[in-house]
Amino acid sequence: MDWTYIQGILMLAGINMIAVLGLSLLTGFTGLFSFGHAGFMAIGAYVGAWISASPTSTPAGLGLPFVLAIVGGGVAAGAVSYFIGRISLNLKGDYFCIATLGFGEAIRLIFNNVNRFGGARGWPGVPGKSTFLAILVADVVAVLFLANLVKSRHGRNMIAVREEELAAQIAGIDVFRYKMLSLIISAVYAGVAGVFFAHYMTFIQPKMFSLTKSTELTIIVIFGGLGSISGSVLGALVLTALPEILRTFEMWRLVFYGAAVILIMVSRPKGLMGGMELTPSGIRKMVAERNALREAKARLLAEAQGGEEE
Amino acid sequence: MTVATLLRVHELTKKFGGLTAVDAVSFDVPEGGIVGLIGPNGAGKTTIFNLITGVYKPTSGSIEFRGKSIVDLEPFRIADMGITRTFQNIRLFKNLSVFDNVLTACHLNANYSFAEAILRLPRFRAQEKLLMTKAENLLDIMGLLGYKDLIASNLPYGLQRRLEIVRALALNPSLLLLDEPAAGMNPDETEQLMRLIARIRNDFKLSVLVIEHHMDLIMGVCEHIVVLNFGEKIAQGSADEVSKNPQVIEAYLGTSEEAADA
Amino acid sequence: MVQFLQQLINGLSIGSVYALMAVGYSLVYSIMNFSNFAHGGVIMLGAYFGFFGLTLLKLPFALAFLLASIGTFFVAILVERIAYKPLRERRAPFLYFIISAMGASILLENLVIATIGPTFRTYPEVFSKAPIELGPLAIGRLDLIIFVISAVSLTLLILFIDKTKLGKAIQAASYNVKACALMGVNTDRVILTVFGLGGFLAGIAGVFFGMKYTVYPQIGNITTKSFIAAVFGGLGSLPGAVLGSIILGIIETFVAGYLSSQFRDLIAFVILIAVLVVRPTGIMGKVTEDKA
Repeated sequence: MDWTYIQGILMLAGINMIAVLGLSLLTGFTGLFSFGHAGFMAIGAYVGAWISASPTSTPAGLGLPFVLAIVGGGVAAGAVSYFIGRISLNLKGDYFCIATLGFGEAIRLIFNNVNRFGGARGWPGVPGKSTFLAILVADVVAVLFLANLVKSRHGRNMIAVREEELAAQIAGIDVFRYKMLSLIISAVYAGVAGVFFAHYMTFIQPKMFSLTKSTELTIIVIFGGLGSISGSVLGALVLTALPEILRTFEMWRLVFYGAAVILIMVSRPKGLMGGMELTPSGIRKMVAERNALREAKARLLAEAQGGEEE
Repeated sequence: MTVATLLRVHELTKKFGGLTAVDAVSFDVPEGGIVGLIGPNGAGKTTIFNLITGVYKPTSGSIEFRGKSIVDLEPFRIADMGITRTFQNIRLFKNLSVFDNVLTACHLNANYSFAEAILRLPRFRAQEKLLMTKAENLLDIMGLLGYKDLIASNLPYGLQRRLEIVRALALNPSLLLLDEPAAGMNPDETEQLMRLIARIRNDFKLSVLVIEHHMDLIMGVCEHIVVLNFGEKIAQGSADEVSKNPQVIEAYLGTSEEAADA
Repeated sequence: MVQFLQQLINGLSIGSVYALMAVGYSLVYSIMNFSNFAHGGVIMLGAYFGFFGLTLLKLPFALAFLLASIGTFFVAILVERIAYKPLRERRAPFLYFIISAMGASILLENLVIATIGPTFRTYPEVFSKAPIELGPLAIGRLDLIIFVISAVSLTLLILFIDKTKLGKAIQAASYNVKACALMGVNTDRVILTVFGLGGFLAGIAGVFFGMKYTVYPQIGNITTKSFIAAVFGGLGSLPGAVLGSIILGIIETFVAGYLSSQFRDLIAFVILIAVLVVRPTGIMGKVTEDKA
């Protein structure tokens, strides 16, 4: 295994990581499950390709800088998610999932029919501008943004929505607004991931953004552990690399993958990190929680034996 | 009456399909008062809470808070205005620590923007520090500071109820609705809770509307009692007046064994 | 007018296949409140069982047909035992069921690719391609047979649910699983029956689908449309699933016939979104009000 090969896998993992981090905010921190985020990736990929592809290639692009493609792809995905959110965020549990599935597939099928963007045959002339460094920088920014968000009142309000929607309302939290905010941010992340993906593959096709891709993203978030940023980072690295490493088994790797998904759900549904963070403050928090539990047990035991205290 | 009316419920009615859960109920909660809402199971008490807090929309009737109608507001706006509640079946943020439960509810005390949070600007840091102090103080006053880092679902039952009250207080409410706060408590704990409710009212300068089955608690702490049966108000007045009312006695002794035990 | 009737019959035929699949989604949803996305994989296996029954084993059609249904009956039950039962016992949230279902679907699809191969296979010609002439109308023999057998199977299913003790237990469980368990209904058996029934019909649907089009490992993706039909009719409602399927089948054929076949797939998702916006519980789904 030479460095270019490893670098290639890392780049793909880094791109997936952006989308996974966004979905992690929506699913892990806000408690909404989506089976349509590949649709937002598609929007990012196509809008990004259109902005940066050369005007002389077919399909023709605008020939603008890569940075603008990133911004444009993210904004476009975010804008579409706003409309989707207005329609579907009031739906309950399962039905929101189904709606996102419908939107994701509809977006893919629309691209299938837009000949201006290459239709089902795809778009071959996307410039290869996703460098290792660019992806790394994007990942760092994505992690920092998310980490700062979840440690603010805005992030805590999203977590409250996940924990207990009605109680969140009663605590004065505008549940719809925070769901919307979370959806838009996650869609922007997915859109940006799509831009990087298009400029990494240099060729995009609607079928790359199918339901399978959406499912893959959700599986990574759950594998990493709901409500854990470090879990999402690790999950993206492990689950992107794993199928690549298993590539020698070619045909059987997706069989193992499917079996692994069932196994994880059935045996350890909390995922790798299970809500914990692999950072100094995260570990401190975990230790404090453990100690508190031990102390509380000891105190209750003492009270039960020694009669009234307080 | 010399005290101002904080909450005025007038001819409040809620129908679910053919069933009338609340039927033209009227009552007032005075500023600084503790009002009890009692009645057998299914009398419509919790429905009234859901109507006041905006979880349900009334079929007809009005609810005014400080003279302003709140019937068309969303629950979070009503909470913003200063009405909050606890739930009969405790609804804590179960997977969060005791501290984080309260910290989350303190959010109305901060107003830093989204961008300030992401960039960790000075205003964000200063306000966060204030929120943390406030949360810690509240836990301290209510005797839960020792459980600060415990995950809420690991708290003993009685303390979970207390945490729910602390979380409500974090919103600086002027009206606190308590839905069966003594459910599942032994007489000792109920006694403690009674004193706690009176103390909260004085320390936090708020009014309380409480649903309860424990007659001791209601009689001991409420200045005014509203009695419901099958969605209708059948009596109201002081503890003495209500307990001598023949209709109330019939409603309780005639139909509900639970209340007779209490 | 002739073309209109022709399209209508085509629509009814494909709609009835959707119905066979959709009731599988709906049955499971009515008891367990989650969308069983592994169902598509089961349908795909049904198509393969039927295909190999006819080609490798050289069975007569009726036997190959039975082999497929019995095969998928057991596959569906196996999926339940492996992917859902442990979750049920732990009372996991519905999402874990969906993810587990997605895993099962990936597993089944790729198991077929790895063992049988990704190629498209065409069913041998069982029924003559010569259409039945009915005045100016030419009805495909296969379409007619599909419609009749589907209608009979669905009627039997509804009779089973309405008349038998087990069927009544299923109905009761769809209202309230917990209460049923308290009343002494063996919910585990109810759930197995639901998966078995759904699996059996999935086998029939798979064979028909393979005969009408071809057999390939990704058939499961197409069955998403029958899921949409189930949502359209109202998840959890059997008559709703049937009605939704028939309507979807007809709309699809008309869109393909009069507009463009490219929009045929898109229209299903547009309908899905429209239904969710206007009436998420579908045409016949039960409306529930949350109690605070």
